[in-house]
Amino acid sequence: MNRRAILVFMLDRPGVLNKVSMLIRKKMYNVDTLTVCSSRVAGISRMTITLQEDDQAKVTQIIKQLEKFTEVISAKELDTDHSYWREVAIVKLEVDSAHLESFRGRYNFEVLDQKGGDIHILQVAGATGRIDTFLDEVGRQYIIEIARTGVTALEK
Amino acid sequence: MTGKKLLLQALKENGVQYIFGYTGGAIMPIFDEMDKMGDFHFVMSRHEQGAAFMAQGVSRASLSSNTPQIGVCMTTSGPGAMNLATGIADAHMDSVPIVAITGQVTTGVIATDAFQESDVIGVMMPICKQTYMPLAAEEVEVTVHEAFYVATTGRGGPIVIDIPKDVQNQSVSSEYSFDTKNFRPTLPGFYYHPTPEREPLRRAIEMINRSLRPVLFCGHGVINSNSGALLQQFAEKVNIPIAFTLHGLSALPADHPLSLGMMGMHGTVEANRTIMEADLLISFGMRFDDRVTGRLSEYAQHADVIHVEIDPSEIDKNVACSVAINADVYRTLHVLLGDPMLTFKPRRRWFEKIDGFRQVMAEDLRREIDGGVGDNGRLLMKSIIHRLSELTEGKDLIVPDVGMHQMMAARFYNYQTTNSWFASGGAGTMGASLPMAIGVKLARPAERVWSISGDGGFQMNIQELGTIMEQQLDVKIILLNNGHLGMVRQWQTLFFDGRYAGTPMQSPNFGLIAEAYNIPYRKVDKPEEVASALQQAIEHQGPIMLEFICDASEVILPMIPSDGGFNDMIVKRPKRKKPPATSDGKGEKS
Repeated sequence: MNRRAILVFMLDRPGVLNKVSMLIRKKMYNVDTLTVCSSRVAGISRMTITLQEDDQAKVTQIIKQLEKFTEVISAKELDTDHSYWREVAIVKLEVDSAHLESFRGRYNFEVLDQKGGDIHILQVAGATGRIDTFLDEVGRQYIIEIARTGVTALEK
Repeated sequence: MTGKKLLLQALKENGVQYIFGYTGGAIMPIFDEMDKMGDFHFVMSRHEQGAAFMAQGVSRASLSSNTPQIGVCMTTSGPGAMNLATGIADAHMDSVPIVAITGQVTTGVIATDAFQESDVIGVMMPICKQTYMPLAAEEVEVTVHEAFYVATTGRGGPIVIDIPKDVQNQSVSSEYSFDTKNFRPTLPGFYYHPTPEREPLRRAIEMINRSLRPVLFCGHGVINSNSGALLQQFAEKVNIPIAFTLHGLSALPADHPLSLGMMGMHGTVEANRTIMEADLLISFGMRFDDRVTGRLSEYAQHADVIHVEIDPSEIDKNVACSVAINADVYRTLHVLLGDPMLTFKPRRRWFEKIDGFRQVMAEDLRREIDGGVGDNGRLLMKSIIHRLSELTEGKDLIVPDVGMHQMMAARFYNYQTTNSWFASGGAGTMGASLPMAIGVKLARPAERVWSISGDGGFQMNIQELGTIMEQQLDVKIILLNNGHLGMVRQWQTLFFDGRYAGTPMQSPNFGLIAEAYNIPYRKVDKPEEVASALQQAIEHQGPIMLEFICDASEVILPMIPSDGGFNDMIVKRPKRKKPPATSDGKGEKS
């Protein structure tokens, strides 16, 4: 299944998030990620939704129905060739420092905290796949807890 | 100035005359103020669902007239609001603009599970066009004006305003002012395209001129934009037959020579076969619903599609089109009619073929209509509807319920009056007719209104007889009683080997019920009495109920099975393989 990203600009009013998520449920999708933040303009939010779908017609249908909401100003699909999709992960790992340091330079991560010798809290930012590869290489068995923001995206 | 006064004042400014509803704790302040103001005709429904359908009746019957009105219903919180839900979902499916105002518990106790508290916004959000909850008296007026704007702009739909009790009573600050005249809602993303673009129109005209086997589709949008006469002119100008969706009926006279009647599951053979063989569908204001298309993979396989539709999300939703015209139907037809490139084509072979389709069932139907009774001697619904159509010259307003009798009323009444057919279509809500007819009668008082129900749907909102009695509304009630849920029974006959699970139904003595509501009543079980009973109802001033004892084994054909394509259309009643086995044998005897 192809991962799709939909960018929506909408009025910052109560219930809009509710409406959007209900529409996606009604269309029988499970949201992969959903991020909301304020935009450059006061009172207008921007939302990035990612979900799995191969059928272009179905994605177009979701976008048209999103645009129908009175609060939605615009909705469109972003593709990876013409936009950046990024997320941030905060990871608590039990791993020795030397192992971690071997990845420095290849991956862009920051150590936020280190305690008890082997317990590290890292922040790593990048494309979803890049973060996944980093975690695979470091070793997922060392992860104690992980938090990921979900994708936010911007057109080139 | 208080929230309740501002609300009522804003309703008045939006042309509201009728308020349908039911009071209760959380809406009492507004009801009290309404009574003091004396500016509205209040109609008390006997159940909140009825109020929603009455509001729909007003909107549906008046929107294409010179004096459009939006139906308003008003109920209390919790169960009052929840009982509206079906009527609101129904309005949403059929694009009917109504405004529902529900009282809510005071803001201080919201989300504490207070007495009669329900999350009205949460429940209504997916079944209406927009929801609002003003949280201060200052927000009330702007909310109501925006609500009416959103309800009627572009594709219509229902709006819910949930207003907490303390906001109703709250006074605005001394600096508050609101400029009704110059009000424009701030909705940067809410727009619609009324005017068609040039390029798709040019391509559409090319395709129409080139087409050998075209067919026009008349949908609800034609009625809503009051374009029936224009569509007729257009059809005559280019010489193309017209098929109607359920909601497109009555946009132009049903017996127009170019009319093919209704399309879809219970549409006519001529409409469906024409669509099957067409090379071009030119559809106006409709959404290719599953009851229209049947199995999509087999739908109109040889045809290109031109889709004129105000709601862009309907374009390419079910049926992919070659030319999309996202615009108002009226404006599109207006531009098309003025285009010198459009040409008249005789299309003789196409019309000869269509004449052949018209003959497929003509004789069977004529025999049933003329005979008037089934094998068991009981009355046939189609014959009663046909007789009603003759006696009223097809000029009356018809409000069917949902089920077999609805399809009979769609097929066998010869609609002559523009916008004279008011049916719950998309949602298919049984019980819609009686309350909807009340709204229709209030909106169009000079015209005769018939509420036609089966015994199932009639009993779903039977309590609205009380409203008819109280308001002394001249609604003619036809009850086509076959002792069953007729449409489901037909499916059981055709697809469930005649096992009638949950469809036989014992009914009360409707004569006594009518008497209890002081409504004149007549029961008819002989074909020779049908006309005189209908004539009696026509001549009677005021409400009257006619109960016809109908043949439960009557079927409405043709039928395209719900998972079938147009090739699966059933035009002949299959021979019964074996006696139907029901636990009590009622199915067979009826």
